[in-house]
Amino acid sequence: MREDLLWVEKYRPKRIADVIGNEEAKSAFTDWLKNKHRSKKAILLYGPPGVGKTTLVNAAAHEFGFRVIEMNASDARSEKAICKVAGPATAFVALDTFSSESKGNVLFMDEVDGIAGNEDRGGVSTILRLIEESRIPVIMAANDPDIDKLRPLKKVSALVRFHQVRIPLIIAMLQEICQKEHIEAEFEALERIAENSQGDVRSAINDLQSLAEASRKLTLQDTVGLSARNKDVGMDETLGGYFSAKSLLEASMRLSRSSVDYDELLMAIGDNLPLRYRDPAELAEAYDFVSQADVFRGRIGTENWHLLRYFFNSLAMAAAVSPGSYQPFSLISPPIRVITLFWTKGRRTMLNNICGKIGQRCHVSRATAKTDVVPYVKAMLSRRKADEIVSWLELDNEEVEFLGKLNRL
Amino acid sequence: MVVLNKQGFKLPRVEKDKFILLLRLGLEYDRAKGTFCVGSYNNIERLTNTIAEILGEDEVAFSQTCIHCGKDFACSECKYAESCATRNLPFHCVCPRCLKSGGKLEDTR
Repeated sequence: MREDLLWVEKYRPKRIADVIGNEEAKSAFTDWLKNKHRSKKAILLYGPPGVGKTTLVNAAAHEFGFRVIEMNASDARSEKAICKVAGPATAFVALDTFSSESKGNVLFMDEVDGIAGNEDRGGVSTILRLIEESRIPVIMAANDPDIDKLRPLKKVSALVRFHQVRIPLIIAMLQEICQKEHIEAEFEALERIAENSQGDVRSAINDLQSLAEASRKLTLQDTVGLSARNKDVGMDETLGGYFSAKSLLEASMRLSRSSVDYDELLMAIGDNLPLRYRDPAELAEAYDFVSQADVFRGRIGTENWHLLRYFFNSLAMAAAVSPGSYQPFSLISPPIRVITLFWTKGRRTMLNNICGKIGQRCHVSRATAKTDVVPYVKAMLSRRKADEIVSWLELDNEEVEFLGKLNRL
Repeated sequence: MVVLNKQGFKLPRVEKDKFILLLRLGLEYDRAKGTFCVGSYNNIERLTNTIAEILGEDEVAFSQTCIHCGKDFACSECKYAESCATRNLPFHCVCPRCLKSGGKLEDTR
């Protein structure tokens, strides 16, 4: 039901012929998939986001009768995880392969360039081994094939490059959607959306939906906001728009147009959710989506920014758990964690200095001093037999007083 | 600028190394007809630059095929050419006439 709200899902191509653009890449891929005697067991589809790589794989598999076993960026792709999911799938040929309807399984690993960090340790070497031993076709998709860690995968795979979808093709597709949705759209407005999308079909459809869904009319004037995307939108404005969003798409748009640091945004949304949802079941569902977003934020790190849309999608889902139940409330902003860190900075600095002195004397790290020594020093100070230890540790009066009042570390 | 037909075009005779480079970059050679055509599009920008170098031109352009009417046309006829990331490359597109008349993509399937 929720998927139908998004036109990108509603109009997601079901057949190969419905995927627009990249005709040459489409035929190269389908030729590879249809061929029973492939020279390479794996294929790597690469190109910018939103040009139809994933859509083509699903459409082709559907059309040729393959069942897709997919591992995308939301799954952990460590050696263990890949072996667990893909190992059995690639080692055996499914029994229904011998029936006329099914051609068996294909393994599809989306966003392979996103395999990174500790969670995905050993991922690439496991995929390589998997390809070598696989008895089923292995399909991979990536946005950036030029990163070093993908080099070994490129050597063993057939490569198919996808290009940006051309503006006239996007316009033609938008015209078709407008017709199906009974939207009166000015040609110049569609032109503007297509040009603004920079070859990304997904973002063009999202823009069209956000601009035209409500009024069923689209003029060039309506598209003026598209170029204002880089405008600074602060925390309060973002949170206000996000929590009052009437649809998944609106929430997603509010997030993508925000200029707030993503970590702070995540914390602020987490803090405000209990004020937004009074029903515990709804609150639990919303927190579940926020935790998913947190996982994606971790996977994005500092370089995998192509995963940002998954982060936004999960956060947007949290706002769209129950759009009808929205009641205005006072926002908590900035995030409680940021405020707490601000207020406790003096205390943390003092404790850190004391731990440094203890560490120097006892030859332990500050962390060990904090957990293993400070509680005993505090106990000694409370028994008034501490002059010797105070002078040995070179603690001043302020620090002794601080330790005396310290309730918890 | 030279406009090449992507279905098949002729090139002047080149050295062996250059010929091998062209094939590696994705060009296919039809020995019977003596014509080249594009077989792989993975290195298409480098390929067009190499062809331009062989022809002694600043730029070469490929003809475009309209997915509606099937006719060939040149990127110079298109008003979006300036902002197109794949300008002059041999891909399918919608010709200005079909785009204006609002031909349906469904009809091409």
